[in-house]
Amino acid sequence: MAFLELAGLRKNYGAFQAVKGIDLAVEKGQLVCLLGPSGCGKTTTLRLIAGFVPANGGEIRVGGKVVSSEHSTVPPEGRNMSMIFQSYALWPHMTVFQNVAYGLKLRKLPADEVRRRVDEILASTRLSALAERYPGELSGGQQQRVSLARALVIKPEILLLDEPLSNLDANLREEMRFEIRRLHDEFRYTTVYVTHDQSEAMTTADLIVVMNDGLIEQAGSPEDIYARPETEFVARFIGGTNILKGRRGDGQTVLRDDGLALVCRSGTVAPDGQTAVSVRHHDIVLSKDRPGDSGSNAAAGTVVRQIYLGSHRDYLVSLKDGETVRALAPVDFAVPAGQEVWMRFPPERCRALSR
Amino acid sequence: MAVITDTTLNDDRRRKGVDLSWPTFGFLAALLGVLVILPLFWLIWYSFRTSGRRPEFTLQNYVSLVTDPAMLRSYALAIGMALAVGILSCLIATPMAWLVARTDLPGKRWIRMLVTASFVTPPFLGAIAYEIIAAPNSGLVNIIYRSALGLSADSYLVNIYSFPGLVFAIACFTFPFVFTLVANALDRVPSDLEDASSILGGGAMTTLRKVTIPMVLPAMLAGTLIAILQALTMFGSPAIIALPAGFHVITTKIWSLFQFPPKPGLAAAAAIPLLLITIVLLRAQKAILGRRGYTVLGGKSGTPRITELGRWKWAAIAFVGVILSLTIILPYLALVKTAFTGTIGDAISFDTLTLRHWKFVLFEFSATQLALRNTFVLGVMTATIVTAVALVVSYLVTRKSLPGARYLGVLATAPVAIPGIVLGVALFLSYANPMFQLYGTIWILLIAFMTIELPAGYQQMSSAFQGVHPELEEAGRILGASRLKTLWDITAPLLRTSVVAAWCFVFVGTIRELSATILLTTANTKLVSVIIYDLNESGDLGAICVLGIILLAISFAVVFVANRLPVLGGSQMNARG
Repeated sequence: MAFLELAGLRKNYGAFQAVKGIDLAVEKGQLVCLLGPSGCGKTTTLRLIAGFVPANGGEIRVGGKVVSSEHSTVPPEGRNMSMIFQSYALWPHMTVFQNVAYGLKLRKLPADEVRRRVDEILASTRLSALAERYPGELSGGQQQRVSLARALVIKPEILLLDEPLSNLDANLREEMRFEIRRLHDEFRYTTVYVTHDQSEAMTTADLIVVMNDGLIEQAGSPEDIYARPETEFVARFIGGTNILKGRRGDGQTVLRDDGLALVCRSGTVAPDGQTAVSVRHHDIVLSKDRPGDSGSNAAAGTVVRQIYLGSHRDYLVSLKDGETVRALAPVDFAVPAGQEVWMRFPPERCRALSR
Repeated sequence: MAVITDTTLNDDRRRKGVDLSWPTFGFLAALLGVLVILPLFWLIWYSFRTSGRRPEFTLQNYVSLVTDPAMLRSYALAIGMALAVGILSCLIATPMAWLVARTDLPGKRWIRMLVTASFVTPPFLGAIAYEIIAAPNSGLVNIIYRSALGLSADSYLVNIYSFPGLVFAIACFTFPFVFTLVANALDRVPSDLEDASSILGGGAMTTLRKVTIPMVLPAMLAGTLIAILQALTMFGSPAIIALPAGFHVITTKIWSLFQFPPKPGLAAAAAIPLLLITIVLLRAQKAILGRRGYTVLGGKSGTPRITELGRWKWAAIAFVGVILSLTIILPYLALVKTAFTGTIGDAISFDTLTLRHWKFVLFEFSATQLALRNTFVLGVMTATIVTAVALVVSYLVTRKSLPGARYLGVLATAPVAIPGIVLGVALFLSYANPMFQLYGTIWILLIAFMTIELPAGYQQMSSAFQGVHPELEEAGRILGASRLKTLWDITAPLLRTSVVAAWCFVFVGTIRELSATILLTTANTKLVSVIIYDLNESGDLGAICVLGIILLAISFAVVFVANRLPVLGGSQMNARG
């Protein structure tokens, strides 16, 4: 049995359904990312887990015990979780030491035990020198680490993070991603992490849960989500891709109206009606002449624009019916805008999407 | 560590605890209902009743209101006076605000401080100071004028007992409202808006005319409306100046309806248009300031442009000097002089200096000590209760912990639209009947002050709460603190300075109240403000000045002490939100 379980969880605010019934199982020690665009219900889900908002339906179970249901909600203080907030929420009237010690003092630990554990966590987050400072005197990255230390020191059963890096500048964000992963590897808390940034999710998560419109689109390892998306939304949201629409052909083939046939080595083709194929930008092979080996999975188009990006060239190519395809090519493959170019969509890189 | 990790989520941890939210909500709703809705209900009710032993439904009060020429005249005069005050305040305050906010005028900080300090002066005290300065017979200016030119005793230069005199005396009190709003607006007009005009070819005057002035126009209008409103609903200054001048404005007219024989029904009917005008003016003000995209809030860039005055500098200094002398410095000097000399007309020398008035007020005049004690006790009680209620209401409203909470906020803000004199009438009608015998006790005054001060207290507390990010509280909850513990450990310390500020604000506002008090006070419940008014009737200006100085000293002392309290240091407060 999984450690943290969400079963048919629902939450509405008036007529608006923020979370429409989600099921999720998180193993002990796993780091799960809830990933999705703003308004997809990921933060609401996190706040449901924390107990800040009561559920309208379904259940949340921790270690088999129900903590939230339609009828009762264990208050946040009764859950032995901790949380890192988007604003860090450091108490400005307490020093770093007092901020970190607060949760331990609530647990009535003896003073020397509090001091020992605070010192320990401050050392492991590289904050020892700043213990007597006030939050207002710290930089953004230091505040972020205090927030981490404060959450970790109580050894929570579950650690929750709400867009923890969104207030940091780009360099620091990169560094903190690895820091969070390092601390997770060190302490192995069951962690739920909310973000809208896919590369943040890729770096930190064991399990990525892509959410959209109050529902889970797909849950899987970073590799699953990137290489084997199951829906158009996931394929587009993670990493960016070309979506080509068509009808079902023979077997794993999708036929476009302009005659292009795409053989897909993976994914599912919708049995009837419209179906789609996802091909990543860098998987498309461009050439000046028609690729010789096949009749399918290749098409000619006109270069709409071409940008030199140092490591590669970024092409936008227009197909005969006006559909545009984005493709990356090596730097030495230079075709000016307006000219014809051939594209090959390797079958092993074409992923059929039934929805 | 075992202590913590072994903590399991037993069912017994799911206890709900005693949930105090709903009882608190119910109590506050009842309290605010009694404070706000009940008096208004009785006001409207009695305006439709005949007086006498067997009251019955009638429209006679309203008929009298619109047919009695004296009543119509007092309304017309009040509106005319209020408009004149508004325009005069705007004319004085706008150039001053511009000079202070946007030029290299020397001593700008001092000017701002002086104007802000004049907020603390009770308006009726200002009116009395002008009596001392400019009464036709005993006024200092007229005495000097006569003796300088050797004129007869009935000639005078200025007469405060006149319509222009009244307008002037009230405008001296109301212009700081316009000044503060306009100066703040000018501070906030981002300089790049003006730079944008310059780079497109606009000269200094064009930029001022086309960009700067339109940007602060809403603040000017809003300030002027506040000045109009203040003038319209003020009781003290008109009572002191207009009555000797032989005319009534509406507030004094309403008050006169309580003199023998009392006509409370007519007073109620007369109060209702005043209530409606106030509501309309406040809505207009809100609409003007609330138009988004037109406001000057939220500009983040740069220091405002400073215009160099050059050769106009001395003219500007003279202008500001005259305004400040007339409105603040001279009245204060007049008060101090009168408090320490025998009669107003005495020249200042060692011979005329006397502590006679102080001795009289502090030791001989029997009413003083009772009044001082009443004033102080009521001030402390009102400030404490209002701050506490405002604190809890704004917590419930800003944290949206209960569905109906925002209506509490609406109720707490509503009294802002009830002029003091109207509230006085309403409370008199509510509590001077056999059912509630509160008239004649200090409790009816406490109710009045609480109602009057509630909006100010609530506004301060709710903006303070908005400054405390909810995540600061949530962080406490998730780490294991209960709601009450979080409030105590985290929210309370962060709000301490705001609570102290709100308390002072309410206290200072309470001890100078006169408009509602004048209808609700009796011989046993005199307050300092009422004593001042009574003494003015008997012409004892020396004693008034002593009391006024005491009142001012208490106000300033409270503000000073509150600012010096060892509450929170500065540095740790920077990281909010």
